[in-house]
Amino acid sequence: MREALDHWDFVIAAYAVGLGGLALLTAWSWQTMRHAERRRDEVKRR
Amino acid sequence: MHIYANPKRFLSLAKWLTPLFLWSGILVTALSIGWGLTQVPPDRLMGESVRILFVHVPSAWLGMGGWTGIAIASAALLIWKHPLASVAARAIALPGMVFTAICLATGSIWGRPTWGTWWVWDGRLTSMLVLLFLYAGYIALSQATAREGGAPKIAAIFGLVGAVNIPIINRSVVWWNSLHQPPSITAGKSAIDSVFLVPLFVAVLGFTLLFAAIVLMRMRALIAEQQVEARLRRRALDDDMPVATSRLENA
Amino acid sequence: MSGSVPMKAKHQRMALVIVALIAIVAAGLIATWALRNQANYFYLPEQIAAEPPAVGQAVRLGGMVQPGSLETEADGVTVAFVVTGNEASSVPVRYSGILPDLFVEGSGVVAEGSLQADGTFLATNLLAKHDENYVPKELEGLEGHRAADSVAETTVGLD
Repeated sequence: MREALDHWDFVIAAYAVGLGGLALLTAWSWQTMRHAERRRDEVKRR
Repeated sequence: MHIYANPKRFLSLAKWLTPLFLWSGILVTALSIGWGLTQVPPDRLMGESVRILFVHVPSAWLGMGGWTGIAIASAALLIWKHPLASVAARAIALPGMVFTAICLATGSIWGRPTWGTWWVWDGRLTSMLVLLFLYAGYIALSQATAREGGAPKIAAIFGLVGAVNIPIINRSVVWWNSLHQPPSITAGKSAIDSVFLVPLFVAVLGFTLLFAAIVLMRMRALIAEQQVEARLRRRALDDDMPVATSRLENA
Repeated sequence: MSGSVPMKAKHQRMALVIVALIAIVAAGLIATWALRNQANYFYLPEQIAAEPPAVGQAVRLGGMVQPGSLETEADGVTVAFVVTGNEASSVPVRYSGILPDLFVEGSGVVAEGSLQADGTFLATNLLAKHDENYVPKELEGLEGHRAADSVAETTVGLD
């Protein structure tokens, strides 16, 4: 008796986890950098 | 050696490199994903699930490469007191941890249809999980020392000690009987057919560019936070406010 | 600033870091060396033969599914096959349940279960072990012979 799973389900799950994590990390890093540098420029100007 | 130790010089370089790495990374990664999902034939035994290779392997390499970077930066901090080294090590930790987590998650998803299990406690999987916990410990420690004004030396020593896990991960499938297969790519030899190997290298390149872009963005954020802190502290001292000054000095 | 004193301090720190690194790596290597046998995920057929575990004791057996040995019994769920290690040693295995997709003759397997009084290994769970070769389906015929060889190369102590 074979398990015969549909491998595509697992491929899609793995890509979703991998790319989703990567996209979140990139977006968060971008946002924190923008925020930190804007704050520095504000503090400098004052 | 110290040319790029100067934060100003580093920042002018980073401002130029960040978008370059970011956009080329997004482009190359998208290319490798499209390639992996649509152009690659199924594997002889694993069938369609072989496509997970293109997410799993680059994440694994970068998860381990990240700690290697932390170890190098830690050594630079301890030996040369390189001012950017501690920033670099702290900037690498989060992406390194995320890539390690992606490696573990995609590996688990891959294991279920191929091996028949989500997880086993064999040498490779266990040592990779240890790496995830080491990252978590490093992030907590470096955050704490940065916030409390403690010596970054402590985190640097932890970064060096933790590096011992990297060769263990690498050799775990050779030293011990494990469910995970031994390395497919060893010096100059590959057991991966070129229809899988070429898109794998494209994926590794794309992920590496993204990793570099994220590290640069994290470094810029950390440097900006330090600059704000330094400026506010100086201003508080200049303002001739004895209460604020004494509070800062006691902090 | 660039006198000989700070230079010396820098070299001293470098020597200290290098000594510390060597000590850490040595400690790690010794620890893993000590774990060498404990950290094995499974036993090979010859290890089972040399030091048979008690009947009923839970162990993991790993090796290669001998080509031609896989048989499905009349009930359709029970399979019997032989796991080989080195040439001389082999263990007959019986298992009732769902087979992972990668479980095929000539490929690696890890069986969880226990040794029975009659010398067969009764598996409660089967895991398929993949080798390090990634080959597209079209090339299967060309690579068929290599698949069997590679299992021997991918398992420690299986020559």
